[in-house]
Amino acid sequence: MFFHIVLERNMLLHPRHFGPHLRDKLVAKLMKDVEGTCSGRHGFVVAITGVESVGKGMIRDGTGFVSFPVKYQCVVFRPFKGEVLEAVVTMVNKMGFFAEAGPVQIFVSNHLIPDDMEFQSGDIPNYTTSDGAIKIQKDTEVRLKLIGTRLDATEIFCIGTIKEDYLGVINDPGAAV
Amino acid sequence: MSSSSSDDFADLESELLAISSDESPDDEEVEVEEEELEVEDFENKRIKRQKVEVLEEIEEAQGSTSLGALRQESGASINDDICPHPASVGGMCVVCGEKEVDGSAVPFGYIHKALKIGSQELARMRRADLKSLLQKKKLYLVLDLDHTLLNSTRFLDISPDEGFLMNQTDSLEDIQKGSLFKLDSMHMLTKLRPFVRTFLKEASDMFEMYIYTMGEQSYALEMARLLDPGEVYFNSKVISQSDCTQRHQKGLDVVMGADNAVVILDDTEFVWSKHKENLILMERYHFFASSGRQFGLNFKSLSESSRDEVESDGTLSAILKVLKRVHQSFFNSDNEANLMSRDVRQVLKSVRKEVLKDCKLIFSHIWKREELPENQKLWLMAEQLGATCTTERNQSVTHVVSLEAGTDKAHWARKRGKFLVHPRWIEAANYFWKRQPEEAFELEPPKKP
Ligand SMILES: [Mg+2]
Ligand SMILES: [Zn+2]
Repeated sequence: MFFHIVLERNMLLHPRHFGPHLRDKLVAKLMKDVEGTCSGRHGFVVAITGVESVGKGMIRDGTGFVSFPVKYQCVVFRPFKGEVLEAVVTMVNKMGFFAEAGPVQIFVSNHLIPDDMEFQSGDIPNYTTSDGAIKIQKDTEVRLKLIGTRLDATEIFCIGTIKEDYLGVINDPGAAV
Repeated sequence: MSSSSSDDFADLESELLAISSDESPDDEEVEVEEEELEVEDFENKRIKRQKVEVLEEIEEAQGSTSLGALRQESGASINDDICPHPASVGGMCVVCGEKEVDGSAVPFGYIHKALKIGSQELARMRRADLKSLLQKKKLYLVLDLDHTLLNSTRFLDISPDEGFLMNQTDSLEDIQKGSLFKLDSMHMLTKLRPFVRTFLKEASDMFEMYIYTMGEQSYALEMARLLDPGEVYFNSKVISQSDCTQRHQKGLDVVMGADNAVVILDDTEFVWSKHKENLILMERYHFFASSGRQFGLNFKSLSESSRDEVESDGTLSAILKVLKRVHQSFFNSDNEANLMSRDVRQVLKSVRKEVLKDCKLIFSHIWKREELPENQKLWLMAEQLGATCTTERNQSVTHVVSLEAGTDKAHWARKRGKFLVHPRWIEAANYFWKRQPEEAFELEPPKKP
């Protein structure tokens, strides 16, 4: 799920950046430092949309660096257990398949793939129904439900299922050819 | 709205509560928070939206302790009783999503860095996998890299006499066509063993193949790319050092194949101490000078003398023939009904026994008189190849195996018209799984004084 929230961060800036462009420097550094990172609490920071305020700088003793409290608005993405997501399959093997929804990696085990879909090895490994009508392989788009999430400092990892109504393949690149 | 969507919402709720009740002091979430010095500002009116409220709920719940009762309504806790937690990714059960750790689970880092599979699940998967594989008339083949399928050397170990190779490497744009590659990022030259492409192609019709190397993962994956640029053979089946569960040993425990259906090709025997019966020992491919030196060989390397193994008649082509025999014998035996219980190790044993089956050997001056011949490596090797070994000279003996041409037994051999061969005749038969022409290993008669 996406959220638009306000976060605050203390930014350390080297004195050489002090001048008329100080604020620009701060914002540029903020984007570089924060966008694309992941926090266990808020999830993945997708984009900074605005800076609310830059507080008074405090000189750090002994270094000359100045720390500014910056409040900024940003869009974050945080997966929840029970959430239904659309994802692109990245790898298929006999254990199940891996898929990605933006920054989130999701594993769907063969236990949570419908029983009528069977693993087929070969140059394009896939799960296919016995009549061949539905196929999951690399680059297939699937709708899945998250049953477990793990967020740590650098990545978000989830366990998902497609073994429920309305879940599964939504666009099959193999079927088009 | 369907009922399932309200379930989803219940799960979402339970997730929010799960966050609140997590009091573990070494929780990563807390660490991150301290690092980033982040403070939410939910009072901000301008951007406040409905979705923000959800986060706000997380915040509120964080201080609360009276929510334990509610949590029991969540779907996850029901799963606790019935889910066998067969495998986990990143510490989460792949079936119920609970954070369960099974101590006996085996890590399968080559499939995914955070994947672990429990022993029962592994046994179940092995059975299911074997069944579907046998239906396709296939077995498993585990392949070593270095000295078996290819040979690599570091740039700094390249000898002056093979330096010319640096300018003769093949393009990485068209890997399928080349056999000598310069890998700048790894500071390495790699030469694929002649015949390897045909070998892999034909073997893949009979086997599901794994790479299993004591090299590092980055090296293993790079070699897999050279051997299999189309990713046809080794998808998620490249096992490297970090995947081994025991130091300096390769084990079939991390291979998704049942022991009775696996054939191993490797030039190093001792790493397979638990699976010797599955092993076809390979004659080492030493292309580069540094490779032979590593094993104490001091003659000119293939590269230095601008030679190579013969494509159509080298080790890999000989071994492919053996694999075909083994495969045929496994699937064509008379007890058609009981495929699952057949054992490829027995097949290997009996195919090996045909190699020297009509030979009766007597050994001369190869080991000391007081040593028991039955314990000698050469004696055992010859017996495994189907030869009969004896210590008594008689008419039924076919070969005298000797290091010297001047011994009593050697004279006897010449007088009676028996083959007189060097022990390398047996070793060669052992590598090629084929009786070698005796003339190539004949001992010259001693010069008359
Ligand atoms: Mg080796
Ligand atoms: Zn479980």
